[in-house]
Amino acid sequence: MAATEAPAPQQRRSDKTKFFFIMPAVIWVLIFTIFPLLYALYTSFFSFRFGRINQFVGGANFARLLTDSNLHNGLRVTLTFVIITVTIQMLLGFGLALLLNREMRGKNILRAIMILPLFATPVAMGYLGITLFYEINGPINELLRALGGTGVPWLSNPFWAMVAIILIDIWQWTPFVFLVSLAALQGLPSDLFEAAEVDGASGWQSFRRITLPLMAPILWLILLLRLVEAFKVFDIPTSLTLGGPGRATEVYSLFTYRTALRFFDHGYAAAQGFLLLIIVSLIVALLFGQIRSVYQEERS
Amino acid sequence: MRRKTSPVQYILIGGIMLIALIWVLFPFYWALVNSIKRPADTFRAGAWIPFLQFQPTLEHWISELSIIEIRQALLNSTIISLGAATLAVLLGTLAAYALARFRFGKKGNANFTTWFISQRILPPVVVVIPFFLIMRQLQLLDNVFSLVLLNATFTLPFPVIILSQMIRELPQELEEAAYVDGASVFQAFTRVVLPLILPGLVATWIICMAFSWNEFLFALSLTTKSAIPMPVIIAGAEHTRGVQFWFVGVRVMLTMLPPIVFALLAQRYIIRGLTLGAVKG
Repeated sequence: MAATEAPAPQQRRSDKTKFFFIMPAVIWVLIFTIFPLLYALYTSFFSFRFGRINQFVGGANFARLLTDSNLHNGLRVTLTFVIITVTIQMLLGFGLALLLNREMRGKNILRAIMILPLFATPVAMGYLGITLFYEINGPINELLRALGGTGVPWLSNPFWAMVAIILIDIWQWTPFVFLVSLAALQGLPSDLFEAAEVDGASGWQSFRRITLPLMAPILWLILLLRLVEAFKVFDIPTSLTLGGPGRATEVYSLFTYRTALRFFDHGYAAAQGFLLLIIVSLIVALLFGQIRSVYQEERS
Repeated sequence: MRRKTSPVQYILIGGIMLIALIWVLFPFYWALVNSIKRPADTFRAGAWIPFLQFQPTLEHWISELSIIEIRQALLNSTIISLGAATLAVLLGTLAAYALARFRFGKKGNANFTTWFISQRILPPVVVVIPFFLIMRQLQLLDNVFSLVLLNATFTLPFPVIILSQMIRELPQELEEAAYVDGASVFQAFTRVVLPLILPGLVATWIICMAFSWNEFLFALSLTTKSAIPMPVIIAGAEHTRGVQFWFVGVRVMLTMLPPIVFALLAQRYIIRGLTLGAVKG
């Protein structure tokens, strides 16, 4: 992706040295990413007993993927979560960035505060969520009652439990969309907007014709990064609801985790992992064409 | 886009900013408030402001910090994030220099970069099973060392991306001058390039520490007792004693504070890191 035109003068000097620099990291990734992936592929063809490889079962673990209703539940829960959270984060984050893209005081403080949720430990947020969404006298229900509403059965109702998880994720990642969009908006060439204004373009017109086209690659990139991350969701449902009530918030990764480390069905869990990897890779492949230009700009 | 702001707009924007700030900051405030409430005040309505609405106490902080397991978890988390970040930055800086200054065939640089970035696309649950089996084989289950190795892997893309960009932005003449003076490639790297990228290097190291500190899935899967880090130990406050909000409050604060402080220290490089170098922020 981010390729550069490398310098000629150093070319000859360092034909071997350059490998000394890059190989440690390359080998590291080989050992800790590619090898485990291949090992997972291998285990996905075996059945396990008491946590040990038992016997070769061919594609049986993959066949189970098609009929396991609990797995399909996990997939459905995850898809719902991904679509809702990412849509809201994109709209809210980009909208806020457009609104606040102007000369103003306190911009640095705003940025510093917006960074905080990105680094708040997700599991900690899940446990904090238990106290925030506490149904009897939790602050959110107290506020709703003060505003004249009734308390919401946040964690005991399947629908509201999902809403609670979505809210925490929105809290955590909207600032990411906001910060990246704002940084990109401020990097847009201002003379284009001035020219448009001179030509009598309305705010909406310059948004449609200048801002959106220029921002499109960045927005696609943010979307891609958010989608990939959202599909990995594990920490918040595991800590806030434990996948419950029932299986209402049992996301894909949590189901696979349980298959592997509660029921020690490692072979089947590995097969589940590969299905998720395939889904995420497809999304990346579909969206990658849209963001290629972001990286190509760097070559110039 | 940068039009003049009318007073009405000014108030409107101010209002929206205020709401956004309250929305972002409130959970942190509530964690703090929870950790200093007496149990009796915890489940009472209208206990939001210390001193005015309830009498704060530090007893939960004192009792939690005296628990051996918590101290051990703080130590474990520190070892894991320091070790993993240091390893990642060490490997990543070398690779970043190679990617920024040398050419690997026709498409080699792009391919290597993709190789490192693809790390962030892989869903961790895909490799949790093989890592569990491998670490069991190596007798590294419940050992902080295994988490150091894994977190170094997951955070490796950050130094590679951030630092290779920084090095590319440095003028090449400085290294050329060093070569003229008879320096080797390695000397040019350590004496010329490293000092210049030091601020970015430290920031990247801090970002890696924050991510390693927050990692949960592998910490949960690969530890059972003595290697448990902070994100896993919060669960202990719930499962063994029922939900005791005051202890949860302290543990949440203890877990969240370090990465948040790290984030503030490394502000300038965060957007660049999280967008894999696409937006510099």
